[in-house]
Amino acid sequence: MSEIKTPQIKPGICIPWEEKLKELPKIQGDEALYQRIWEDNEALGYMYIWQVLLSF
Amino acid sequence: MKDMEKLYQARLKRYVTAMRNEKPDQVPIRPFVAEFTAKYAGYTCAQVAHDYSLAFEAACKCAADFDWDAVVANMVYVWTGLTEAIGLKYYGVPGIHIPEDVGFQYREPAEGQAFMKADEYELLAKDPTGFLYNVWLPRASADVSPEGAPTSYRNNLSFLKGGMAMLSYFNAFGPQIQRLRQESGTVSAIAGIFKQPFDILADKLRGYLGLTMDLFERPKEVLKACEALMPHLCHVALSGADPDKNVPIGFWMHRGCTPFINHDHFNQFVWPTLKPIIEEIWRQGHQVLFYAEGRWMNHLDAFAELPDGSIVFHVDQDDIFEVHKRIGHKFCLTGGIPNYLLAYETPDKVRAFCKKVIDEVAKDGGYIMDASAIMQNDTAIENIKAMTEFTREYGVY
Repeated sequence: MSEIKTPQIKPGICIPWEEKLKELPKIQGDEALYQRIWEDNEALGYMYIWQVLLSF
Repeated sequence: MKDMEKLYQARLKRYVTAMRNEKPDQVPIRPFVAEFTAKYAGYTCAQVAHDYSLAFEAACKCAADFDWDAVVANMVYVWTGLTEAIGLKYYGVPGIHIPEDVGFQYREPAEGQAFMKADEYELLAKDPTGFLYNVWLPRASADVSPEGAPTSYRNNLSFLKGGMAMLSYFNAFGPQIQRLRQESGTVSAIAGIFKQPFDILADKLRGYLGLTMDLFERPKEVLKACEALMPHLCHVALSGADPDKNVPIGFWMHRGCTPFINHDHFNQFVWPTLKPIIEEIWRQGHQVLFYAEGRWMNHLDAFAELPDGSIVFHVDQDDIFEVHKRIGHKFCLTGGIPNYLLAYETPDKVRAFCKKVIDEVAKDGGYIMDASAIMQNDTAIENIKAMTEFTREYGVY
């Protein structure tokens, strides 16, 4: 049997926050907020391509 | 409204009890009616495929007129308005590429023109999501530009219209499910979608012919790619699952059985990358509906390794009486009423077959009445009435 391995870029994400963070100036506010919203929107991009593949 | 909610709750209990392989008050009826709904409601296949509001309307009309416990909110699931907005090449759209009253068709690319090349398994395995966006979609869509190529108006619009249209469509399902519940007390039969890694390669990436050659020529790469798809397909399945854990995730089974592939290949590629996903989904409290299109008799021993009740097994072309003997003690069965019978035979013959299934398969519970395969517009209305009315009369425990 194969295992469900966690990939380098986790499911639900296209571009990891860590990669985006490198492009930004030093965060002055709450980094967790920016990361959470980034990943919420990443999930939409992720859903789009996987749903095109599976459902359409 | 109050009576309708009471009806809904009774049907939900009936449907869920049967899916847990237990005995409800009567045999639940959960027909997967696709283009049949258009025929019944007076629409063409083109209308329900291209305008999902008409498909929703047709589903509600059928649910209101027939005494069914559960239906899929829209079994003509592929909204071709969306696929055209994205520019997808692989659909035959009713009224555009094929006659207006034929259900939409999936057109597999010719061998050698598959959307993924044989030497791209490593690339896929390294980052499946990136591969889909950068390599697969530009080939599968007439509008999306390949990575590195100049962008275009059509490319930009494909993503914008495609994304917004998808949200519009998915967001319409909530109200549609509520409408079914409130207007006819009907349960939404499934939630979420799952496909197995092997089928993703066969259906949309390498094509069936390309993949069968790859199984012999580059087996390690195929397995690695299947393994790389596992966490993503598991994630997608769980992200759309019923939060109340009542109805199952729909699993549409295509090319992973004999004789599409041989038994060794099933054991080598299909089962090792499918079983752990089903186990994980079950660990999180969700059943999976194995919609076993075609014949899966040769693989029932493998499916029997799964935990009791973890799946609901839908019987298409297998002998449902034999399937019941083999795995009926472990899992609820659905379907098994031949589509040719429902399309071309008489109501009396439909009733006789339903009686045999209720007597032999449903006698201890754990069975849900449905046709073998999704019902299209060749299904006779009087035969659906016969199946429904007979099951209601005779299928009481």
